[in-house]
Amino acid sequence: MRGKTFIAHDELPEVLERLSKAMDVWIPTAINDEKYEIQFLPYQSDRLPVLDRQSTMPPKKVIFPQVETLLHFSRKKDENNPFKSHIKLEDEEEVSPVLVFGARPCDVRGFLVFDEVYLNGPYKDPYYAKRRKKTLFATLVCETSDNACFCSAVGSGPADQTGSDLWIIPVDGGYVIEALTERGENLMPEMGKDATEAQVAEARDVQEKVAGLRVGEADLTQNSDAFEDRFSDNEYWRDMAFKCISCGICTYVCPTCYCFNITDEAKDLDGERIRSWDSCMFNHFTREASGHNPRPSKLERYRNRIGHKFSYFPKKYKGMIACCGCGRCIRRCPVALDIRNVVLSLKKNKENVDVCK
Amino acid sequence: MPMDEKTKTLQEDFEKNFADLELVIGWETGFDRLHATPVFIRQPSELGKLVWNPLCSQNLSGYLAKNLDASIQEDGKKIGICVKGCDSRSLVALIQENFIDRKRLYIVGIPCEGTVDLRRLMRLNPSLKNVRKVDIEGNKAVVETDQETLRFPIEDVLARKCLRCLYPNPVIYDTIIGTPVKPRISEDKAYTAVEKLDSSDRKQRLAFWKTEFDRCIRCYACRNACPLCVCQDNCIAESRKPKWLTQRDGIREKFLFHMIHGLHLAGRCTECGECERVCPVEIPTMLIKEKMNQIVKDMLDYEAGIDPEAKPPLLTFDPGETGI
Repeated sequence: MRGKTFIAHDELPEVLERLSKAMDVWIPTAINDEKYEIQFLPYQSDRLPVLDRQSTMPPKKVIFPQVETLLHFSRKKDENNPFKSHIKLEDEEEVSPVLVFGARPCDVRGFLVFDEVYLNGPYKDPYYAKRRKKTLFATLVCETSDNACFCSAVGSGPADQTGSDLWIIPVDGGYVIEALTERGENLMPEMGKDATEAQVAEARDVQEKVAGLRVGEADLTQNSDAFEDRFSDNEYWRDMAFKCISCGICTYVCPTCYCFNITDEAKDLDGERIRSWDSCMFNHFTREASGHNPRPSKLERYRNRIGHKFSYFPKKYKGMIACCGCGRCIRRCPVALDIRNVVLSLKKNKENVDVCK
Repeated sequence: MPMDEKTKTLQEDFEKNFADLELVIGWETGFDRLHATPVFIRQPSELGKLVWNPLCSQNLSGYLAKNLDASIQEDGKKIGICVKGCDSRSLVALIQENFIDRKRLYIVGIPCEGTVDLRRLMRLNPSLKNVRKVDIEGNKAVVETDQETLRFPIEDVLARKCLRCLYPNPVIYDTIIGTPVKPRISEDKAYTAVEKLDSSDRKQRLAFWKTEFDRCIRCYACRNACPLCVCQDNCIAESRKPKWLTQRDGIREKFLFHMIHGLHLAGRCTECGECERVCPVEIPTMLIKEKMNQIVKDMLDYEAGIDPEAKPPLLTFDPGETGI
């Protein structure tokens, strides 16, 4: 087993270049020189990783693409019987091994939520499973929280290594890399040169310092019953959701939101069945075939978002909260709606609820 | 008038008039002091929450058309709303299109020196933390943190729409807070961004928009934040019957959605810039609407949201039209 390694800042592109010969390497990177937002994109020699701040979009799409073809179909008319046609289905798609380099603990935790639903339950999602199996995470210990971050409030933290294969610790002049899993260990020969004792010591200090941080003051993990008690309090939900403009940002930037839609997109006799991200904030979410929607307004839809993440999910999956505390939904919300306030207020009596944050 | 004084005047004005109001829509400090958030006040005791500062970017007029009953009530109670110059134009457009009854509103207009584009600010200063206050003093944006006071040239940190704004003063109001401010540009400079893009050839323009739209995640925040995008219940982006677009994430889908979005705002867009501000992947979506407005101005000599009595060109039909 190889010990810790060190990659100097200026050697990082080289390392990524080498890695990308053997696998798809995804990095957080700036849209272009003029823009601020960071997104995960496949590494290219002209793309540099940006590791000094959280990405706008999480690496969710690496394993759960926004649009995914489930199968191709083509119809062929029967030559002898014009009322009959034969359908041919094709659903084989190979996926390549992937390394996500520079994710953060909150990004990775998103997939632990996905795993419960798509891998560990009675039904395995084969599309998710094949990508998940082939994806490794080199995760950055997170030193850059802001006022929207709250990972410690949902049972994780800025130094949480759960789900990661390699661990990246920023030190003077570069990064110390440590393997956390056997699969991560296999990549260690590509991860720069051996770290010096001083670098290992510095990395240990950084890790200890970050592990001691608490990001997010409150505890948001024990609100399941409070949610149920509040379920019928329409006034509460009306007030909480009033400012929501029903766009899909919070769900699309969320590392844990996993709802999807399935549509057939055909032209003439050929087409594809695709799965695409859905959003519980959209007015057609859960609209039934009859046209009826049991969640007709944003009151019901917003309530469902909170209930799903902080009550239904933990009740079903061993207390796990379907929120990783990354804060993206708060930071990116066009009207700065703060999910923490909504959850924390569940337990407050009416007079003390601050409806407006 | 300094910002804190404007905030105070704003609160006092609503206190004075609260007996006639059932609701006040304004801004308050959000999850930190770098973010403002809409606030809906139904009790006079909560008026102290109201703030006015260059972070109050949300255009609140959309709530009137989409979330509230904006018709006259039997008890005569009104909705109080705070508007900047651009927001007030959206109000006018909504009044013209009969989404809101003017008599239902108590409008508090705020002459606006511009709102801060948080992305531009953070780009200049990625480690900016513990912000206490943001204000505009002349040609500088002043950011006070717990540790220091920073000054940035406004052209580096204001929203693009503010730097090209011709209507910083509300065009419709019942009360105005503070004194009118001067636009930062002259009328002939309003469309320089569009003209710059137009000066590239067709292939380059197509390449530009393909690159920009490629990032679109179809979250529809641009549409939902738009005060004038009022047909969201059956938008072409999502409707399956009729089916205009697939749910694929290709450039064709995104391109068509944004073009239709722009087209539906021709002669209606009041250039509040909300579409561009809210986009999580930084697509300059307002450029499309600016282009539409430039055409409408050139051909029909019309600007959206200025005169409540005027008939918007696309709401009328004149067989003798000479502009086209």
